Formats: sequence, structure tokens, C-alpha cells
Amino acid sequence: MAETIQQKQSIKEFIATIPFNKIGIKELLNFEKTPQNMLIAVITLAFLAFFVLGVATYLMHGHHAYNVTREHPWGLLIAVYIFFVVSSTGLCIVGSLGDVFGFKDYEMISKRAIFGSIVTIMAGFAVIAFEIGHPVTMLIYNVLSPGLTSAIWWMGTLYGLYLTFMIIEFVFLLKHNMKMAKIFGLTGLLVGLAAHSNLGGVFGFLNARTISNGVFYPTYFILTAFITGVFIAFIMMGFRYKLQFPENAKVMLTNLAKIQALLISILIFFVTWKFLTDIYGDMPNRAEVARHILGSWTFWAEVVLAMLIPLFIILKDMGKNLTGMFWASLSGMVGVFFMRYNLVHDTQLKPLQMMKTTEYQLAPTWVHYFPSMAEIMISLGGLGLCILLYYVGTKLFNLDADTHH
Amino acid sequence: MARYGMALDYKNCINCKACEVACKEENGILMGADKHRIWVGVKEIEGEYPFLNIASSAFEPSQCQHCDDAPCQSVCPTNATYYDENGVVRVDADKCILCSYCMNACPYDARYVDDRTMTVDKCNFCSDTRLARGETTTACQNTCPTKVRTFGDLDDPESEISILLRTREHFSLKSHLGTKPKLFYLT
Ligand code: SF4
Ligand code: SF4
Ligand code: SF4
Repeated sequence: MAETIQQKQSIKEFIATIPFNKIGIKELLNFEKTPQNMLIAVITLAFLAFFVLGVATYLMHGHHAYNVTREHPWGLLIAVYIFFVVSSTGLCIVGSLGDVFGFKDYEMISKRAIFGSIVTIMAGFAVIAFEIGHPVTMLIYNVLSPGLTSAIWWMGTLYGLYLTFMIIEFVFLLKHNMKMAKIFGLTGLLVGLAAHSNLGGVFGFLNARTISNGVFYPTYFILTAFITGVFIAFIMMGFRYKLQFPENAKVMLTNLAKIQALLISILIFFVTWKFLTDIYGDMPNRAEVARHILGSWTFWAEVVLAMLIPLFIILKDMGKNLTGMFWASLSGMVGVFFMRYNLVHDTQLKPLQMMKTTEYQLAPTWVHYFPSMAEIMISLGGLGLCILLYYVGTKLFNLDADTHH
Repeated sequence: MARYGMALDYKNCINCKACEVACKEENGILMGADKHRIWVGVKEIEGEYPFLNIASSAFEPSQCQHCDDAPCQSVCPTNATYYDENGVVRVDADKCILCSYCMNACPYDARYVDDRTMTVDKCNFCSDTRLARGETTTACQNTCPTKVRTFGDLDDPESEISILLRTREHFSLKSHLGTKPKLFYLT
């Protein structure tokens, strides 16, 4: 008995000693009122308003507020959820470079990246909560009757654990307890990678969808997560230093840029071979879907924005043009969004019933989908939420590396 | 304990869609083109007049295949989709979270969303209507004017369906996917 009271007390003390800045509304509104900052503030507020509007529409009309159909049951919100959790996994990888693997140069971004990974996955959860029809039932039956053969079960459960580990790691980072941060960081990273490859498995396990079936997505997800993490690292550091990077940041970012060049090259190699094998031999269903994808502008948006532009900018000055990389990373994130959207949409392109099933209907060719207003609003809202949480975090915590050692 | 399956003498189908109506009526399926447990696939005649390819025209009535190895079941995160004691693949609406994974995983597009419960629904061989009342036929089978469907126990060697499958050649849809469908198309 006495022991539990003692334990409780020490937990209380542990929580009470987490260093944070006491701030009020006044401090929150206290930022440099430059035109850029004002613009970002207004956009964020608009996105948050969209979120409220989108959710309200959903609560009134249920899934009818979305353009998902029997043939295309997964829409924009699934893509946006993937976008956020990929970002989270990527930031976790970038954050781990310093505090888990001990690369000294990267320690300066660890805390910021780990905080970013918490914020992005929360935004992802906020979005998916309005896509899953019954989120509360999910919490109950995930435990009561777990579907152990389901990639969604593993993905969801592991991501839940991952979030917990990330939060604990972040607390230890704040407390400057590097040993514990390393333990929880490594566990979190491994769980996160497992969760993330399971998310790829959600698509890879679809035997019925030859275009997605196989080992490609589970591995590709990890690679693109790392790439996404590096993009966001540039964006966060760009904002932190207003593009006037100090010397140590320059060293780190130049190295990151070089890693990014390698990663993007591998990605281009992967994607090229995916399409070559998809089309080679004209396997029915797979080859025609691949050709259809190659003819869609969203695919080329992904290639140009997330692969070609960033790679070109890095290679031009061997990673030294950091301002250029900041902008290329913004382009990269738009490209990564298309990457996620394409992956979800392309999986469902091919109708599974191969004959027309109702009168006055043409034989099925391609399944069409364009997101509804509610879907778009909730998605932008997720982004708004993410920016808001991150901003609050920068006020609440010291996200820079601690100088005292 | 039976193992229910269905044989379809599909070449007899005249596309009258009586089965679609009977299923909606019997099982209280909502109106709307998307909301169906059962459908008739239509393949139009190919070729230009007068060289019409009569053989190309086909009607293919179909519904959930009640796969013995059902992808919709393996992917369900909460086991809302389950095999009942008769081998019928069914959905427990209380456990379904509407993640729609099964709709994507089913190779036959046999699943849709029931707007009343906002959960996934599909053909269940009339298990909670006719079979529950002790009848031995399904609504779609019963109504068919050309007697396309034969429903019964695959484990009983004396059942009509077992005899049919022993004596007539048949195939199943997308069987290369390893789903082991229990809908058999008689040729
Ligand atoms: S046909 Fe589709 S819904 Fe029916 S059991 Fe097979 S996979 Fe499941
Ligand atoms: S939609 Fe329902 S039945 Fe289908 S996989 Fe998800 S929880 Fe299972
Ligand atoms: S067996 Fe029953 S539930 Fe299934 S399609 Fe026929 S009428 Fe509908």
C-alpha cells in the first residue's frame, strides 16, 4: 500500500517536473506580425474553420457527405491519413538519427522532429476518426475480438503504441534524460516502422487488386517515409531560422540534403521498376491499370514535385543551396500528397465486376472519384490542426537542442 | 451443421431481374442502384450488324461467393465478418466499424454499405430471414422463372446440389485467387 502511494507520488513528481513554458493566450498571439506570418495565421485559421464545417457536414449526412462509393470505398480522407502517418514515421526516423543512433550533427533537430511526429500522427488520427464509420466500436472490438489476420488491426494497434512511445520519448528529451529517451526512441522507432509497413501491407495484401498486391508498398512506404521526414525537417528548420541558418544547422541540412538525393534516386529506381514489371508481358488488369496511371496528371505531379524538382535542386549545388531546398521541400510535400492520393485511388481504379450490372449503364471501364467538399474541408482541417499544434508546441516547449550538457 | 453452396445454371438466365427484386423484398434491402446483394452482369453483343457475334452475349447472375477462404474475412480488423456454423460468410453489424477494408478486398464487389446501420452488408444466403424460419430455399432461387439456382448442403452427398456438381461440369469465378468460392457455374 505504502509502496503504491509512493509510486503515485513519484509519477506525479515526474510529470510535474516536465519543463515547459507557462503561457497564456497573450503569448500565443505574440508572434512577429510580418506579412508572411500573418498570411500563415489566416490560412491556418481558415483551415480550422473548414475542419469544423467539414465535420459538421459529416455529422449531419454521414458518409453521404463523401463521394465514396461501393466501387471506390476509400477516398481522400484515407489518403490524407496516410499522408500524416507517413510524415510522422518519417519525422521519427529523422529524429532518431541523433538521439537513438548517436549521430551528433543531428541532435539539434531530434526534439523538434519527435514533437513533429507526435503532432502529425495526431492530425492523422483526427482525420481518420471521421472516415471510420464507428470509431468507438473500433476501440472496443479491436480489443474484444481482434482480427489478427488484418493489416488494419496491426496498423492501428501498432500506431497507438507508437504514439505512446513517442510521447514518452519526447518527455525524456525535454527532461534531458538521454538514456531513457534512447530506449523509448528505439522502441518507438521499431514499432513505428512495423506499423508503417503494415499500412503498406493493407494495400499489399489485396490479392484482388493486382496493381497493389505484393511486397512493393510495405517497403516503399518506409522509403517514402524517410524522404517525407527529410522534407519536413527542411521546412521546420527553415521556419525556425527564417532561412538564416547558423553554421551547425548548415552542416546538418547539407548532409540531410545529400541523404535525400540518395533516397530520391532509390525511389525513382523503385518506381521505374514497378512500372516496367507492371507493364511487361501485358498481364491483364495490371498492365492496363499501369498504363492508365502513366496517363494521369496526378502521377506526373507526384514525379515532378516530389522527385525531379528536389533532386535537381540538391544535385545542382551538392546540397548547399539550403534556401532552395526549403522551397523544394514544400514542393516535395505537395508531391508526397499526390503520391498518397494516387496510391489510394489507383488501387481502386479497376472495377471488379467486369460486366454492366444495371440497365442504361455502360460496361465498366474505370472507376471515377473526385473528393466532395466535406472531404476536402476535413483534409485541409487536418493540415490546419497540424500547424496549430506545432505552433503551440514551439511556444510551450524548448524544441531546440539544449546547449548545456 | 451444413456447408451451404449454390449452383447456377447461368446459361438459363433471361435477365428478368426477379432475383434482384426478391432479395430486396425478402431481406429488406434499401432502394438504390448501389444497394444490392445480388446482380445480373450483362455482356453486350459484340460486332457490327450484320456480323453480330451472338455467342458473345451473356448474362451472368451473381452474388457473394461465400468463399471458403474469404479475403473479406481475413482483412476484417474486428472479426465482424465471420463464417457461421454453415460456412456462410456473414457480417455482425454490432462489430463492424465501417473501415471498408472488406469492400476493397472482396474480388467480386459483393459488399455494400447499408445506410440504416452504416455497416457493411452482403448476401448471407437468406440466413436471418428464410433459413431462420426453417425454409430450405433462398429468395433468389425460389423466384427464378428458369430455375437458374440450386441451393443446398455441399457436405450431403444426396443433396440436389451435390448431385448436380457430380454430374455437370462447372467452374467458379476468379478461382485463381484461391478464394475457394461456393458458387458454382454449371456449363
Ligand atoms: S465473395 Fe466477397 S464478400 Fe463473399 S465471401 Fe468472398 S470475399 Fe467475402
Ligand atoms: S467494414 Fe466492417 S465488416 Fe468490413 S472489414 Fe471493416 S469492420 Fe470488417
Ligand atoms: S441468397 Fe438470399 S440474401 Fe443472397 S442474394 Fe439470394 S435472396 Fe439475396
